[in-house]
Amino acid sequence: MKTLIQRWRTPLLLVAAALMALAIVLPLWGMTLVSTQYPEGLRMVVYPGRITGDLGEINALNRYIGMTPISADFFVELRLLPIAFGAVAALILGSAFVKRRWAPLLPLLAMTTVAAYGLLSMRGRLYQFGHDLDPAAPITIDPFTPPMMGLNQIAQFASYTYFSWGTLLPLVAGLLIALVLWAGWSEPRIAHPHRALALAA
Amino acid sequence: MSRLASAPILLLAGLAACGGVTPEAPGQRPMATGDVQAAAAASYVKPGDLDEYYLFYSGGHSGQVFVAGVPSMRHIATIPVFAPYPGTGYGFDEETKAMLGGFTWGDVHHPALSKTAGDYDGRWLFVNDNGNNRIARIDLRDLKTKQIFGPIPNTMGNHGSSMVTENSEYALVATRFSVPMGSQYEPLEDYATKFKGAVSGIRIDSATGTMSLGWQIMTPPFNWDLGATGKGASEDWAFWTSYNSERATGKLEANASQKDRDYVAVVNWRAAEAAAQAGRGSQIGGVTVLDPAQVPGIMFLLPCGKSPHGVDVDPSGEYVICSGKLQPTSTVFSFTKIQDAIARKAYSGQEDGIPVITYEEAMIMEVPVGLGPLHTQFDGKGYAYTSLYVESAIAKWKLPPYAAGVDPKSLVIDKIPVQFNVGHLVTAHGDTRNPKGDWLVAMNKMSKGRHLNVGPSIPESSQLIDIASGEKMKMVYESYTEPEPHFAQLVHRDVLTPIEFYPKGENRNPHAIWQPADAKVTRNAARRTVEGNVYAIRSYFEPGRIQVMEGDTVILHITNAEQQRDEIHGFGLVAFDKNLVIDPGETKTLKFVARKSGVYPYYCTNFCSALHQEMQGYLEVVPRGRTMALYRGNDGEMSFERRAPETAARTVDPHAGHAASPGAAH
Repeated sequence: MKTLIQRWRTPLLLVAAALMALAIVLPLWGMTLVSTQYPEGLRMVVYPGRITGDLGEINALNRYIGMTPISADFFVELRLLPIAFGAVAALILGSAFVKRRWAPLLPLLAMTTVAAYGLLSMRGRLYQFGHDLDPAAPITIDPFTPPMMGLNQIAQFASYTYFSWGTLLPLVAGLLIALVLWAGWSEPRIAHPHRALALAA
Repeated sequence: MSRLASAPILLLAGLAACGGVTPEAPGQRPMATGDVQAAAAASYVKPGDLDEYYLFYSGGHSGQVFVAGVPSMRHIATIPVFAPYPGTGYGFDEETKAMLGGFTWGDVHHPALSKTAGDYDGRWLFVNDNGNNRIARIDLRDLKTKQIFGPIPNTMGNHGSSMVTENSEYALVATRFSVPMGSQYEPLEDYATKFKGAVSGIRIDSATGTMSLGWQIMTPPFNWDLGATGKGASEDWAFWTSYNSERATGKLEANASQKDRDYVAVVNWRAAEAAAQAGRGSQIGGVTVLDPAQVPGIMFLLPCGKSPHGVDVDPSGEYVICSGKLQPTSTVFSFTKIQDAIARKAYSGQEDGIPVITYEEAMIMEVPVGLGPLHTQFDGKGYAYTSLYVESAIAKWKLPPYAAGVDPKSLVIDKIPVQFNVGHLVTAHGDTRNPKGDWLVAMNKMSKGRHLNVGPSIPESSQLIDIASGEKMKMVYESYTEPEPHFAQLVHRDVLTPIEFYPKGENRNPHAIWQPADAKVTRNAARRTVEGNVYAIRSYFEPGRIQVMEGDTVILHITNAEQQRDEIHGFGLVAFDKNLVIDPGETKTLKFVARKSGVYPYYCTNFCSALHQEMQGYLEVVPRGRTMALYRGNDGEMSFERRAPETAARTVDPHAGHAASPGAAH
């Protein structure tokens, strides 16, 4: 008779792989700027490998405070993300078919590394953009770091930043893999059939 | 003072008051407090909300079209058509200058929206020029004039125009003034025989809206006044009223008002088109002109009371209403009876070979609407609204079918005074098959005393009337316009889908540039010309310095590289009398001769940004004989200090990412 974990291991890992693959095309993070004269808001959405939204207008406004123009080409790490996500998805998929309890550890470690690198580099970029302001810009403001998540006020704009599906799904995938790993480890190991009988006795 | 002593004074005061009392004009409808509050609520559009309807006013002899919103009656924009308009740079760039063709004004009377299946389709607005015999098309995608057609040959006084057919096949046009057709000059004494009027079929291309002259019909020298196209069963026909069937040339006040009846022209434009295509008619002034005497079936005449002014066709297309401005009736004709009379040849005479249909055969009713009836519009609920100029009122009356023996006076169910002397009126979708029946705008010719005194040059008044709440019409609001609207078009806002800026991908101008690095100025020393591509964005021009030589012809193509609504940049060249205004995504061309040496600033004239004041440059006109420092040998490409070379990181591309789709509120 199969245990719970034996029955659910493969499906859970397949779902995790699918979530990871789906995250390649979903938005990771977004920023919305609202002011009196832009009541409908200016938006910027970051996907693995590209940035969409009102970049043209946001950059035109940022010129006044001397901020570096935002474009997908500038962020090398962003362009690597689809490959990274894809690799992780492949690793998860592979671990689904390797019936060893340490198998999911590899993709989990890879995922954690990608996540850590992603978050750290993002924090770095947010700092960089808010501090590397052109001193010759028409308007001088105090250097600032836009928050990764939450509300902020800069000049006449209220800004709201948020994580989106592209970060949530990998998080769920990671939790699923962790669950599989934990369940796999807590399960008693059966080395010899007659030992099991002895235990049962 | 004791009561007894004050009595004589009171009596005297009372007598004086009696003598000085002004009786109220008949039929006045003063607004009670409750009415005022209801009217305020009905016409108020709160900040941030949109009006429900577009009101396109003809601008009369201002040569333009005014756009207002209903019900607020606020003026929103002026669309320049026949006269230069520096506010939007119209008439200053090479393209619009060419369209104006050297003329500086026009007289716009009748705007007509393009139609599909008899209702407005939001593509184009056609407007006539009574002054210089032209007709223009405004594209409703960006609300700009795109084509001015004319002067139309053989035409003087393009008044009975523009009448758009049910599927925008034609804009039909008729002349107010008759002139010799086919020869340059004939003495005025020969007016009755040698002078001719003309009805023109201006073809509208169904894909682009481009106008071309299809054909003309030669008419007797009557003054054609207003026209209307048929609907439904009558959609192949058009009608015009006329005056001066007396064929008088002088003292028209009296001489053109002698006969009891003038004529309504009943024109089968479909048959005229077929005849022209079959090669019938003669070439006059470069146009195929059909003589109705030679081509029977294309035109008939119908008598109508005394110098009739307006003619209108009801939404069903069955009733043709013509209003005799010098007699107090609007005459209702039945299209079915007209067709029947034609089939039976029930004629009472002819004019220059054109059959005159017997009046009684086609007439259904003469409705006693009031004094000086002019134009009629509809509510789609069986009622007609006629403007009464002399009486200064609008009459609401019942359309046929009528019960046998009905008292004509009972057909007029309401009359509301307007201030003052209404000319045209318009109801929402009022000249289509599906009038909305909610609003009526009366365009009055006199506004005296109704507004703050602005001196002798007095604007016009237009009044908003509610025709939806009950049998009685209600005055709701009053507004003042520039001189001087005639007819208008009132169309629901959902019919139009204008853009808010020009998407980069649509700009086909070969001189358009989208990066400051592409800005370039080149001099041709042999031809003494300088041509440049200028980049405009918040908040600078690139180049910020243009060097030419005295006497050079300078051509500048300026691109507003923005892709955001309302980021309009102007280009004002000081002392040269030049002001271009370039919308986001647009490229416009400026051409001038740098006659006098000196240094001339150019600057952004349309407020664009916090650093709008800093958006400027200098045009250096170098005296002859001097070396131009920015050129090698005074020839070739101008080298100038470009903006600090931007690293790949710092290059601003206004088009990075997905630009918000134009017109969508993101």
